Amino acid sequence: MIRSIEFRAMNTSVMLAAEGEGAIPGMYAAKAFIDECEQRFSRFLPASELSDLNRSTGDWLQISEDLMDMLQLSMKYYAETNGIFDPSILSDLKQIGYDRSMDEIRAHGVNVPERVPNRTSRPAFHELSFDLATSRVRLPRGMEIDLGGIAKGWIVQKAAQLLHQYVEVCGVSAGGDILFIGRPLDGTDWDVYLEDPRSPTEMLTQLHVPSGAVATSSIMKRTWSQGEKIRHHLIDPRMGEPAKTDWLSVTVISPSVIEAEVYAKAILIAGEKELPNLLKRKQDLTFIAVDSDGDLSGSSNYKEYMYEFTSNAF
Amino acid sequence: MKLLKIGIRFWITLTSVLSFLSGWVMLAHAPKPNQANFSSSSVAAPLPTLEPLNPLSGSDDNNNFQNQPLFSVQPSVRSQFKPAFRTGGS
Repeated sequence: MIRSIEFRAMNTSVMLAAEGEGAIPGMYAAKAFIDECEQRFSRFLPASELSDLNRSTGDWLQISEDLMDMLQLSMKYYAETNGIFDPSILSDLKQIGYDRSMDEIRAHGVNVPERVPNRTSRPAFHELSFDLATSRVRLPRGMEIDLGGIAKGWIVQKAAQLLHQYVEVCGVSAGGDILFIGRPLDGTDWDVYLEDPRSPTEMLTQLHVPSGAVATSSIMKRTWSQGEKIRHHLIDPRMGEPAKTDWLSVTVISPSVIEAEVYAKAILIAGEKELPNLLKRKQDLTFIAVDSDGDLSGSSNYKEYMYEFTSNAF
Repeated sequence: MKLLKIGIRFWITLTSVLSFLSGWVMLAHAPKPNQANFSSSSVAAPLPTLEPLNPLSGSDDNNNFQNQPLFSVQPSVRSQFKPAFRTGGS
């Protein structure tokens, strides 16, 4: 029997599942860890470590090992995706009205007037400096960081590793970024339902995953109005504007939840045309893209993760 | 006959009033419930000793759960054959 708990953190729904004797204490320990991480890495909390970093722009700042880990991972994926994954787009996000949590925007709307994007106004992410010997970083003047998705992936990974100290088999999901460690004891795979981005209460298909990670990026979940325009939170760093995408959502299946999270976003932003260039060094990456008609496409192997339904299966 | 009826009515009224008054007097002088318990406390049976509750986990070294704040609201645990995970972005 698999035990599970669900709760809200990081402005999204979180689900923990575990099988084994230590399931309950393990899940509560993982929950406490996630709650603590939210306090440390949210850009919406003025007392968070990330807010300290964004206030320190232009100066060296000593940071924790965890934040250093996230920033270094961000730099790695920034280079790997040729800048399509870029956590330094916070000023662009603020300019389109995403200057407070999505819950607040949904309740009160945005109060940032629509403006023409000014892409040249912010420094590039690779200008960030590290001093590993003293655990310090320096953001160039004018740079602000939103760790957003990569922080979520990092927290899911660490929470799953923590839960794994209590049980052999577990799964952690935060807003659809999921990491499974071990296979359920009955020998079957984990079931993951792929939401229809046009209507998230409905499911497009059911995936089966033995272990590893699944993550989805969508332009339909965090949307709001700014003047005449409908905005979403996936900024194309090349334009400084919400990305104009070929698909509504992209799901990546990978051994690493951080890689799955980063590439789901990068593939969605890059689009079909830029895909060969983006995946040049990631030929084996499994992804599923959903277009505006709800049709699925993706890597050559994505159907291996889908259940095959016969006509009388329902 | 008329006299008999009047007599019976008088008798019924009188016995009703007297019964009510005697009942009032009896209840007023009866011992109160707490007085009765107090007086019998010297012979009360000793309270049973409860055994300590079993921990939720059998493994002591994994018991970080006990370090959680006492009054924090924790989500309830569900037991399922296999929980349904969903992915769709956030």
